Amino acid sequence: MSESRRMLAEMADPLFAELGPDATGESDGARIDELGLPLLLVPESEGGFGGDWLDALTVFRLAGYHALGPDLPAQIVGRVAEAGSPRQFALMAFARTAQIAGALDAALALSVGYVNERRQFGRPLGKFQAVQQALAGFAGEAAAANCAAVGAAQALDREDAAFEIAAAKLRANRAVEIGTTVAHQVHGAIGFTQEYGLHPLTRRLWQWRSEFGNDAYWSRELGSKVVAAGAVAFWPDLTARTG
Amino acid sequence: MQTFVTEAVDWPDNAAALREQVRALVAEHGERDPVRRANSWTKADPEFSRRLGDAGLLGMTWPKEYGGHERSQLERYVVIEELLAAGAPVGAHWIADRQSGPLLLRLGNEELKRRWVPAITRGEAFACIGLSEPNSGSDLASVRTAARRDGDEWVLDGQKVWTTGAHVSHFMIALVRTEAGSERQQGLSQLVVPMDAPGVSVKPIIDLTGAHEFNEVFFDNVRLPANALLGVEGEGWRQATAELSLERSGPERYLSSMVLFLELVRHARTENDPALVALVGRLAAEAWTLRLMSASVAAKLARGEDPALEATIVKDLGNSYEQAIPQLVQAAVDFGAADTEVLRSVCFYLLQVSPSFSLRGGTREIVKGIIARGLGLR
Repeated sequence: MSESRRMLAEMADPLFAELGPDATGESDGARIDELGLPLLLVPESEGGFGGDWLDALTVFRLAGYHALGPDLPAQIVGRVAEAGSPRQFALMAFARTAQIAGALDAALALSVGYVNERRQFGRPLGKFQAVQQALAGFAGEAAAANCAAVGAAQALDREDAAFEIAAAKLRANRAVEIGTTVAHQVHGAIGFTQEYGLHPLTRRLWQWRSEFGNDAYWSRELGSKVVAAGAVAFWPDLTARTG
Repeated sequence: MQTFVTEAVDWPDNAAALREQVRALVAEHGERDPVRRANSWTKADPEFSRRLGDAGLLGMTWPKEYGGHERSQLERYVVIEELLAAGAPVGAHWIADRQSGPLLLRLGNEELKRRWVPAITRGEAFACIGLSEPNSGSDLASVRTAARRDGDEWVLDGQKVWTTGAHVSHFMIALVRTEAGSERQQGLSQLVVPMDAPGVSVKPIIDLTGAHEFNEVFFDNVRLPANALLGVEGEGWRQATAELSLERSGPERYLSSMVLFLELVRHARTENDPALVALVGRLAAEAWTLRLMSASVAAKLARGEDPALEATIVKDLGNSYEQAIPQLVQAAVDFGAADTEVLRSVCFYLLQVSPSFSLRGGTREIVKGIIARGLGLR
């Protein structure tokens, strides 16, 4: 990670953690504005932060990780893409992908912490193979969503990222299902309460899966592209996009 | 917590040229039958392996002194993902090129290296791995095949099973007990066993498709010179498990059914079925993600890191993906329709062999257990 991106993360992480899911634009927007975060993608020549898409990924992912109340990603994207435009839709799909990646990691961390503490039948839940295997599957899904988000960010920094955004949002959407299911299952009843901090993550995950293209939307988009290009082109196209 | 830290993969500058080289070679000498192109890293074609050796595409990263080509790990990655995506018959040399050669170079004595490594790079020496035994599968530390010292020699007795490619291999790297009375992971060593040594016999095991890929291997009073010991006596367990990241995260862990996916794309072009298009989209998204994950692990390995947890996750997700493809294709495609013969043949072949995908190289349950431990759960 570059030095400036590390600094960005070190700035955003504690603030988002402090603000959390209950923050609102009205009461807390000023604290986010103070750091210049809404101008993240605006060029330095125009008074912005001059960040690239990997910087945006860092901020979006942390916003997801802490289930940040205000929709900062929408603000950031709003500065560089016209509301209602196809470009804004695609960029917001990327933002939600990154938020899903962050929220899945946070829900996984909560789940692992919980099962290592909670004891039943004389041992921590985390010692039971059934629980271990379920969480291992969850970890794989969270990993896939994170990789997909990074891949889309890299593509955005490189060139046209229509293929990557479609693939990444679709993959992240699919990860939501297993992630939220396992997170709630291993938490038992406590995870179902308003008091406990799982629902700010899982309820947003379900929302983000639908927003800016659900599974059906992106599988149609991506599938049409791949089918139109044809079988012979699939692998050469895929590899030509990276190296 | 961040489950999978990905950084940009620094693909080699000559990647495009390497891809062209491999594609041309496969177009000329590869396998044409689509069924034989599926799961192609189990398809042995010694002639094809020798052609790869001639083209300098085996032992790519190894020292020139031993016949290697001193190219980068990522150049090799480019070559192997091209071979697998094209369904090239790479089974004969696969294990030798992927792990036996690197293991010999890292731990082998000079005689072992001279004897085997240059021959591997020419595509003339193939290897198999002697791990499983009749009573030792997932519980690998229970191996009982034993070697005892007799003067300057080792005397080997016992049996291995499920040994892939033993019948086309020239040597085996076997995990055996070298300390009588030792338990579990203690007292194990790795020995390099020439398959033509007196007392070694190979008996085929025919799989459910009628194919012969794995075997039983018997050792009856096999006498080996002292230098057959690979690495350090008693360190066999650590040696055998040290480089599993290499084995777990390669593109072979998600590409075994790629040929079926491509046949599905071909079929979807001729049909006007939104369900098929959607399925193509879903499987393409997964292929794109898995390639990124696998390459990202390869890049970390190339930098000298050991991303064991990430590598294990790639294997788990990749195996599930390549296993799901035939099931999903079967569910979506009407095989009674015209022009579905090829699609159907590949699909039914893969349906039959795909149970092995989440068994070979560590079962799904073992793999998920390793991931769980990586998460801090055991």
